Amino acid sequence: MSDTLLSVKDLVIHYETEDEVVEAVNKISFDIKKGEVLGLVGETGAGKTTTALGILGLLPAKVGHVIQGSIELEGKDLLKLSEKEMRQIRGKKISMIFQDPMTALNPVKTVGDQIAEVVLLHNQCSKAEALKRAQEMLAMVGIVPERYKDYPHQFSGGMKQRIVIAIALACEPELLIADEPTTALDVTIQAQILDMMRKLQKEQGTSVILITHDLGVVAEMCDNCAVMYGGELVEYGTLEQVFDNPKHPYTRALYKSIPSLDKDVERLEVIPGLVPDPSDLPEYCSFFERCSEKCDKCNKYDPVSTEVEPGHYAKCLQYMKEWEG
Amino acid sequence: MDSKNLLEVKNLKKYFQTPRGLLHAVDNVTFNIEKGKTIGIVGESGCGKSTLGKTLMRLHQPTAGEVMFKDADIANIPLKEFKKKYRANIQMIFQDPYASLDPRMSILQLIEEPIKVNNKSLSKAQVTEKAREMMELVGLAKRLEGAYPHELDGGRRQRIGIARALSLNPEFIVCDEPVSALDVSIQAQVLNLLQDLQEQRGLTYMFITHDMSVVKHISDDIAVMYLGQMIEKCSADRIFRDTIHPYSQALLSAIPIPNVHVKHERMVLKGELTSPIDPKPCCRFAARCPYATDKCLAEEPKLREILPNHQVACHFAEKFVK
Repeated sequence: MSDTLLSVKDLVIHYETEDEVVEAVNKISFDIKKGEVLGLVGETGAGKTTTALGILGLLPAKVGHVIQGSIELEGKDLLKLSEKEMRQIRGKKISMIFQDPMTALNPVKTVGDQIAEVVLLHNQCSKAEALKRAQEMLAMVGIVPERYKDYPHQFSGGMKQRIVIAIALACEPELLIADEPTTALDVTIQAQILDMMRKLQKEQGTSVILITHDLGVVAEMCDNCAVMYGGELVEYGTLEQVFDNPKHPYTRALYKSIPSLDKDVERLEVIPGLVPDPSDLPEYCSFFERCSEKCDKCNKYDPVSTEVEPGHYAKCLQYMKEWEG
Repeated sequence: MDSKNLLEVKNLKKYFQTPRGLLHAVDNVTFNIEKGKTIGIVGESGCGKSTLGKTLMRLHQPTAGEVMFKDADIANIPLKEFKKKYRANIQMIFQDPYASLDPRMSILQLIEEPIKVNNKSLSKAQVTEKAREMMELVGLAKRLEGAYPHELDGGRRQRIGIARALSLNPEFIVCDEPVSALDVSIQAQVLNLLQDLQEQRGLTYMFITHDMSVVKHISDDIAVMYLGQMIEKCSADRIFRDTIHPYSQALLSAIPIPNVHVKHERMVLKGELTSPIDPKPCCRFAARCPYATDKCLAEEPKLREILPNHQVACHFAEKFVK
């Protein structure tokens, strides 16, 4: 247990508005070890970002609520901490890279000041020391340190994302949550950023949760992979397990629906129907309507996550022995 | 004009005047599009692929060059004549189904609009009938007629865009990133729909995208653009293993492959795109090219045929043939 950094158990997050309750995250559990890179995959509305915001305690005030569950960082339940204590953790122990580098930076502050800001908040040091650290960080992410006096608009998209990464890593966090860090970037720039993230992750031994919808990025970056659908974790395993031997029908269908560069297919296989509406999830398996492997029991029971092989979990009725026959 | 070609583009240029100089968005592009085929245009943001599409549609007015379509030079005829005679024949599907639809019009109204504008002789009932026909064609349920765009998901919204483009019975459709805003499971639905429609109606597509696996799946030919120029053009089955231009090779090696066992050599490019404003007369990729020599910095390479149906703009293309 000692090498587990973060442990999420039975986490349920709802968004409550006047007219509806959106069940964004439904009873998900997973662990991250020190130095592990976990890929969190899923489509729009699967609850990936909500999970990340939940871990950081950044759910939108009044609307977003953690209904049950625990999020333990090195044995300490983050959900029980006060806002003041949480602020000590954010940026220092856990930090986040947001999807869109164009909006994550403050346009009227120099990038050096923005990196120094986190350093000053979490360390007892002088402004000059913080700025020196900012320059070191810039150099680390491959930007000429002398540019610390420049403003975000003077950088290109790829460089802005490097700056966002520099801010996130400035205090050497133990856990980095990267929410679609390269989605807004071109592939050649994406390759640069992924290369850099991998290098920094190895050097600092940071654990990473990489949120993405791109299975290719997961294959290149991650040790373990978790697939989310309708706010639930439908499959979890090592990269090899999930990619070579997917167990959940959704994961299997997902692979068939992406066009491949190294194989020729005449026609793509389609997952019929739409992603379920999280404000109106069924009592039974949320993938039932779109599933090609369903049986007559699937719209009666909600399956629980089952270990199909050591370390490989799938949330599907076909693996639950007691339902068979 | 060759009878198998629907469109012949010759030396097409589109420059924009900017405060800092002349921006060469599309620079001297020459290619043909065969009838009933799909040409994929790939490249990174800012390489001029959307501008190329919009210039063919006369949504931008070309700076120079010609575009032959049905024995007429549609790049140089008066805009009024183009709109009257050809606009219905050349249609476009836009990238963002969230932004390209009027939020205050219902689905039926949205699809009726282009039919009404282009066929003034049709009665109201005929327009509605035609619009309903289009809805059925693209797989939009009849009950959605009165719905507004915000009530629909991205995939359905994109179907509206497709219905609008198809309602005028065009022969040629410019698809500008039609699936990049969609989730993967929905993306497959829309790609299949586009392929079905092509088979049924003999449509010709120009498919603009930055997603290499999508473009390989849907295209017959693929052209790679870099800073306004076409640097490589070949058939889609050659694009992955047999690309020749160093930029195309780098672009393809940068794509993460969703397979744990395929570990390909990655060629990480240094730096970023250089400026398309007043470019120097040299190879535009030279600054980032690992193989660049003095010749590349002194002379601009022309697109030339290296192998049958495989054109490359690189001085040393022969060296990179596998």
